Amino acid sequence: MPTPTLTQTLVIALIQAILVVIFIFVIVPLTIYAERKVLGHIQLRLGATRIAGTHTGLTGLVNRSMWKLGKVPVLAYWRGIPMLVGDILKMILKEDVRPTKADRFVFFLAPSLSFVAAVMAFAAVSFVPGTFFTFPKWVPLVGGLPLSGGMADVNVGLLWILGIASVGVYGIVLAGWASNSKYPLLGSLRSGAQIVSYEVPLTLSLLAPVLMSGSLQFSHMATTMATGLPFWGIVPQMLGFLVYFTCGFAETNRLPFDMPEAENELVAGFHTEYSGMKFGFFYLGEYINMAVVSALAAGFFLGGPWLLPFGLQGLVNPYLPAWLGQPCALFFVVKIVLLLFVFIWVRGTIPRYRYDQIMAVAWKYLIPLALVNLLLAAMVRYLAV
Amino acid sequence: MNAMPPTLQRDDDRMIVNLGPSHPSTHGTLRLILELDGEFVTKGTPEIGYLHRGVEKLGENLSYQQFIPLTDRLNYCSSIMNNVGYTLAVEKLLGIQDPPRSQVIRVLVSELSRIGDHLVCVGINAVDIGAFTAFLYLFKERETIYDLLEMAAGQRLHTSFTRIGGLMRDIPEGFLPLLEQFQESLPRTLDEMEKLLTRNPIWYDRTKGVGKITPEDAIAWGYTGPCLRAAGLAQDLRKAQPYLGYEGYEFDIPIGTTGDVYDRYLVRTEEMRQSHRIIQQCIQKLRELGPGPVIVDDYKVALPPKDKVYTRMESLIHHFKLVMHGIDMPVGEVYSATEAANGELGFYIVSDGGKSPYRIHVRPPCFPIFNSFDEQARGTLIADAVAILGAMNIIAGELDR
Repeated sequence: MPTPTLTQTLVIALIQAILVVIFIFVIVPLTIYAERKVLGHIQLRLGATRIAGTHTGLTGLVNRSMWKLGKVPVLAYWRGIPMLVGDILKMILKEDVRPTKADRFVFFLAPSLSFVAAVMAFAAVSFVPGTFFTFPKWVPLVGGLPLSGGMADVNVGLLWILGIASVGVYGIVLAGWASNSKYPLLGSLRSGAQIVSYEVPLTLSLLAPVLMSGSLQFSHMATTMATGLPFWGIVPQMLGFLVYFTCGFAETNRLPFDMPEAENELVAGFHTEYSGMKFGFFYLGEYINMAVVSALAAGFFLGGPWLLPFGLQGLVNPYLPAWLGQPCALFFVVKIVLLLFVFIWVRGTIPRYRYDQIMAVAWKYLIPLALVNLLLAAMVRYLAV
Repeated sequence: MNAMPPTLQRDDDRMIVNLGPSHPSTHGTLRLILELDGEFVTKGTPEIGYLHRGVEKLGENLSYQQFIPLTDRLNYCSSIMNNVGYTLAVEKLLGIQDPPRSQVIRVLVSELSRIGDHLVCVGINAVDIGAFTAFLYLFKERETIYDLLEMAAGQRLHTSFTRIGGLMRDIPEGFLPLLEQFQESLPRTLDEMEKLLTRNPIWYDRTKGVGKITPEDAIAWGYTGPCLRAAGLAQDLRKAQPYLGYEGYEFDIPIGTTGDVYDRYLVRTEEMRQSHRIIQQCIQKLRELGPGPVIVDDYKVALPPKDKVYTRMESLIHHFKLVMHGIDMPVGEVYSATEAANGELGFYIVSDGGKSPYRIHVRPPCFPIFNSFDEQARGTLIADAVAILGAMNIIAGELDR
């Protein structure tokens, strides 16, 4: 395999970045749509159905032609799909209102921080260990070169993700402060305290996979957790997974931990004063964060691109098709989607915690549990390896 | 009269936050001025009057019959109970009683709207605490209730169903079959809601011990209805001074122990089941009674039927007299209270014998309850204050009148 030149490396990196951004911007609107639909079905309604009329727009065209063919249009149910575009258009086109006494620069900085931090965390996520695909020979400039499965699958990947993720909280705190308004301030302070508290059990629960795989590199950790363990990792890691995922809810400000936004108490929390695309950045950032949290959970606990999680990969029957035993980006994406569904499902099921109770959950239950989990992982590691 | 804004004594550097007049958790238009020490509420000043329409004053210029639509707008979540409460007061002043079929139907629709009111209260309280799904489960039933009320009264929200001396009309043909469907589905929905909430640890943590009140304090504040019963007092006007033949129905009064939000929720849920029981008995009674008049046969009080008006001189004169001059009211005053969904709904009417009452006063159940908001919310967190406000079931329409 030829060694790529500097130009080729840069072009490949650019292509990777574009692919990841495309992935993000495909999965986020779909999550928003899925949230509407899934929540709708949980709550005995249909969800979004009303974006395009029966006679106008693309679906209208299809509907009309179906009527002409003498068929009842079935597209009505899916008519909410254009809302994916409509949402973004709405946010871009809306007037961007800034309170008179808001801090101009910080008011602008906060949503960008929040959004950029969320996107950047994806850089270290590896979709497939090793090569994702090789460019065919006929491709100019980069033909015959491999495209790796992660943008920057560096050996401090987890550290990078955690570090960048905690930058996101600055976005929220600064938003509250810069708005110069009371509800955002309360919301952002809540959020600051909440995210700082929950980062402790989150990191502690992620330490267990680190301990078991002996690496901080995303692909290496995923590989070890899925295939490299000489035992079923499920016993010591179930607890870690639950602790991690619970903290994930808190990190992404989702129900039951949606304190910073707590609609019925603080109107809209830290983004009360935001409108237009600035609000849109917070909104998208939250969903990207959900995807990041799901990706980490899928990578470290659910076997990443392998079919089976928790070191159960050995269970794949050798008589089954060989690709079931191979890593595949599709498995990874499916796991992310499943976890995103859990996010929505939980939102439809349980009420919101109170601020002090959230703190109690973190410090009284999750941190001790995460420590116990770490101890278990250490013992397993000591005894088994 | 000079309208003064409420003066706020600011001590230390506490944050003052306006909850309302338009805020997601102030259902209706009311305003709370919260003084916060961090997240803790050190003082909550309720300010009312944003929905003041002068209903009582308006009543002084309307005939007794014309006031009924205004009672719809008091507690708009259960307007039929206001209609019933008001007409009972006027009937008490007149010394008449409506026919038995009308009484049963009044009980029936009152209990229906009691269920509707409790559904809204419990549902909205759940939304405030973040459980949106339970709210939508409940609203499915509320839709059926409104369908039923629409069948009976022709209007979903502002029913104006009663008339002095009876009802506007009898319940229509399809009413009872739909009601039976509702009777079948309501317990299931309540079970579903209870599965979501009652044993949910988060719901329990959020509501248990929040907004506690002792029975003595509750009485001192003038609590009535579910909030008082949640505090542990089995006080229910339907049992204490039965009206509309409530003594003939079998039902229990659920009571709580601590009066906190959780108990209020449980009491309301159980009351819905009890109302369900009462409705079941109503259906039976309606079947036993068979068809009959739903308004008194006294043309000095109630309008004669249209076919008589068009064919008989006497009835035409009665119709004319009733519409133009109103009912011949005796001079006197009366206070009549009914058990509305929120508590004791009282109407105090002073009559000087004229076409319209000399004075009407409404005793809304949530006014005294709302007064205690400061005491209830003091020292709690903002989230608790919102939960308490939801469990009080403040309806701005009857609070401000």
